[in-house]
Amino acid sequence: MDNRITIKVTDLIGSRLCISSEDGQKVFEKAESLLKRGKNVTISFDSVTMLISLFLNVAIGQLYGSFSEEEVRSMVKVDGLSVDDMELLKRVVDNAKKYYANSKEYDAAWRDEGEEDEE
Amino acid sequence: MKLNVFTIKSNQVGFDSIALIAKKTTPLLFDSVELDFSNCNFFEANMAAPLYSVIARLRNELNEVSIVNMPSAIKTILRKNHFLTIFNVVDLWDTNQTTIPFKIFKLQAGEHFSDYLDIYMNGRGVPTMSTALTKRFRQSLLEIFQNAAIHSQSEPGVFTCGQFYPQKHRLDFTIADAGVGIRENVRRYTRDAKMNSCTAIQWALVEGHTTKTEQPGGLGLKLLKEFICMNNGKLQIVSRYGYYEFSANGELINEMDHDFPGTCVNIEINTEDTISYCLKSELSSDDIF
Repeated sequence: MDNRITIKVTDLIGSRLCISSEDGQKVFEKAESLLKRGKNVTISFDSVTMLISLFLNVAIGQLYGSFSEEEVRSMVKVDGLSVDDMELLKRVVDNAKKYYANSKEYDAAWRDEGEEDEE
Repeated sequence: MKLNVFTIKSNQVGFDSIALIAKKTTPLLFDSVELDFSNCNFFEANMAAPLYSVIARLRNELNEVSIVNMPSAIKTILRKNHFLTIFNVVDLWDTNQTTIPFKIFKLQAGEHFSDYLDIYMNGRGVPTMSTALTKRFRQSLLEIFQNAAIHSQSEPGVFTCGQFYPQKHRLDFTIADAGVGIRENVRRYTRDAKMNSCTAIQWALVEGHTTKTEQPGGLGLKLLKEFICMNNGKLQIVSRYGYYEFSANGELINEMDHDFPGTCVNIEINTEDTISYCLKSELSSDDIF
């Protein structure tokens, strides 16, 4: 039996613009709950006219905080994205993997920088 | 209080002049401020957005702000870009349609901002650019706008405007706020209460750096910088005491003399750019995850 469920992003958020973190959160929560129930998920961006990294960080990047890379790879697919938006998603996914691998390390390095006071 | 406004261009001196107005008027409450333009020989229209960062704060403290002695050439351009409507001066029809009007958006108005770009970026004399360039430019502007919406805490909202310079094939677009500045968020996130504005801007420009907690992010500014690099454009970020500029001439970060009351991002793009901005090979779902 085909276990795959499609999340139509424009239907879920009620807009063709994927630009806000609130809307990204809706997509994330829907995908997360389906994946936790063992469903495979296709996130469809059909009819989306604008997409930014901020939305994708929340909608898809966050999945790596809840699931392993292997789980995401085997259970999640996307469709309806243009070639350049696929490139953008790739950047978001690579960034999310790094973030969940070592999120605190960068910051510690910056805390060691010498500083001068401002008003 | 009467304050002189001098020539203001999109450069560090121009931003510092605006920050000086903020400094001189900081203690004022329930007062009146006259901005005297008699010594202003030139005012680049897109700088209306950062100037409004100062005016918005003054108005928030219930000060009466007015403009006096504005030279007619400056008045004409600032009527064309609708900036002077905030002082109840009637708009002028922009015959050449080279302005993207000054507008104040609520922080939650990302979709309205997108509609505004639809109206003013499509034809209307603002340059006919390749589809790929238009898309990347709009994505960049939306990323900046939403960054301001999420991080600035700017009660008066986000202020935008743009100006096309047909002879130079350049389009400037400016997004400003009257918020806490980049350094406040970075200081809180890194728990470094002394981090200065320049270091905070540099921190924010690193790929993957975000002050959001428990969520990946920090790509918007990096993508913007990459786009500006490919397009041979210019990027300026001003936030509190920090001034950052990136262009074909290189990268510089300087401390400003005065505290700019918020954050302002100015993008100047080369409108003749015909780069496709697409990858040669297509990625599939399997390549991505």
